[in-house]
Amino acid sequence: MNTLGVIAGREMRLALRNRSIVITALIFSVWFPVMSALGIAAGAGGDAAAVAGAIAAIILPVGVFMGYLFCADAFLREKRDGTIETLLCAPVSLHGLWEGKALGVAVPAYLTTLLSAAVTIAAVSTLSGTPVAAEPLLLLHIAAVVPVWIAAAAGLIGAAQLALGMRENQILGFIFIFGFIFLIAGLQGIVSGGPGISVMTEAVLAAVGIGLLALARVIAGKVTKERIVRTIP
Amino acid sequence: MPEEEAGVNAVEVRGLSRSFDGREILRDVSFTVGHGEIFGYLGPNGAGKTTTIRILLGLLASDAGEVRVLGRDLAADDDARARVGVLFENNGLADRMSAVGNLAYYAGLYGVDDPAERIDELLALVGLADRRDDLVGTFSTGMKRKLGIARAILHRPEVVFLDEPSSGLDPGAQRMVRDLIVELSRREEMTVFLNSHHLDEVQRVCSTVAILAGGRIRAFDSVANLTAASGRPAVTVSLADPGDRARACETVGGLPYVMGCDVNGDGLLCTLADPGATPDLVTALVGAGFRIEEVRRSSRSLEEIYLEHVGQAEGGA
Repeated sequence: MNTLGVIAGREMRLALRNRSIVITALIFSVWFPVMSALGIAAGAGGDAAAVAGAIAAIILPVGVFMGYLFCADAFLREKRDGTIETLLCAPVSLHGLWEGKALGVAVPAYLTTLLSAAVTIAAVSTLSGTPVAAEPLLLLHIAAVVPVWIAAAAGLIGAAQLALGMRENQILGFIFIFGFIFLIAGLQGIVSGGPGISVMTEAVLAAVGIGLLALARVIAGKVTKERIVRTIP
Repeated sequence: MPEEEAGVNAVEVRGLSRSFDGREILRDVSFTVGHGEIFGYLGPNGAGKTTTIRILLGLLASDAGEVRVLGRDLAADDDARARVGVLFENNGLADRMSAVGNLAYYAGLYGVDDPAERIDELLALVGLADRRDDLVGTFSTGMKRKLGIARAILHRPEVVFLDEPSSGLDPGAQRMVRDLIVELSRREEMTVFLNSHHLDEVQRVCSTVAILAGGRIRAFDSVANLTAASGRPAVTVSLADPGDRARACETVGGLPYVMGCDVNGDGLLCTLADPGATPDLVTALVGAGFRIEEVRRSSRSLEEIYLEHVGQAEGGA
């Protein structure tokens, strides 16, 4: 197995063994969709495109939140415990370490987001009495746009958690989450101009997600070992 | 060791300086550590020992000077770091993984050949073979430290940095760690850079030491030379009757080759002008009617030397 796989595999195993994070992720991936499904079923009526758009609008912030949740274990805990210092002495570049950890965060975050999407669709179908149509754009959204945004969120939040001190990270966590949610809602509102899902909305979301991923790589490239070590509590 | 690196010291530090927020932590620090040595790096809290290790490992930059480990700059050379092991105080272990899981992870990072066999060998060496599948979070501090040492040497490094390996351990565990360091140095033929507060531990296991205080190296020599170099030779004379100590001190105090005499425990501590004067001293004491139980050369402990250098540094010397 290559180094990226070794690091990512360890982060995934550790995430699955963190009971509090797994429970939080499962509760959020069930509770939030069920609450949202009530609104979607009541508001969208029988418009399949509107239902798909509403589901897409719910799933993306859930994915970003999952990324944030799992980052706390992979990046912040490692820093708080000081074990990151030992990892920085391994024959792996800092960029390689960040990449492996971000991947190890993105995979479980994406899996719980898929669970959340399934719960949302099932809840909307049950409450509205009509099965949610398999809209190709909704499937594309779940299969391509959502993982790109989760990876971007994991990469950005992870790089920030490595670079900043504990107090700054507490404040920044909220800024990141609300920043992402406002960005997603703003993009969906501006591009689509109303309820529903469109090629243009998905294209813009995908492009911005890729841009954020590239930004995360640039920011991670600027983080230094000295910066990380000097912000270990 | 690669041919081109033959003759290169395991660790080289030349004119190293580093400040944090305007406070000078290291000032023109220089020392070398030869291959296969167990080197003790001593100094009070905040002296800059861990900062030195971090600079050597490429975790912090220096303001001035040059550092090399195995002739390489570890900050810029990812591959060279595969030849170095490190144990910080936190052991670098994940509590939610088993002992074998933690070692397997690092084996993957360092590309260890035949990791299963190496992991079994090390778990047996540190006495944790029967706990291999237990979560590290259930281990005692001593067990975590043993596993941390196993992790640090898993990839058979040529140099291993141990930062306070006995910190927080009970005396039994400290002894175990000390024995393990000596065993590893002998068996795995590695250079050990030991950063420690435990002077007794350092005196027992290290061949060379450097004392860092006030940001400067105050002493750098072999333990044998440091403890022997007390200025003048001295002998401790134990008397059969400790009540005779004061009178014996008066008797030998006037002898021309005795520079000083103090009552010490059951006997006398005599500083001599010449180490060859010991037989004359014994003859004089016996001639004066004192009964002698034991005579031994006296050397200073590393603790005395350390306190002297640290005291000088704190006094602004």
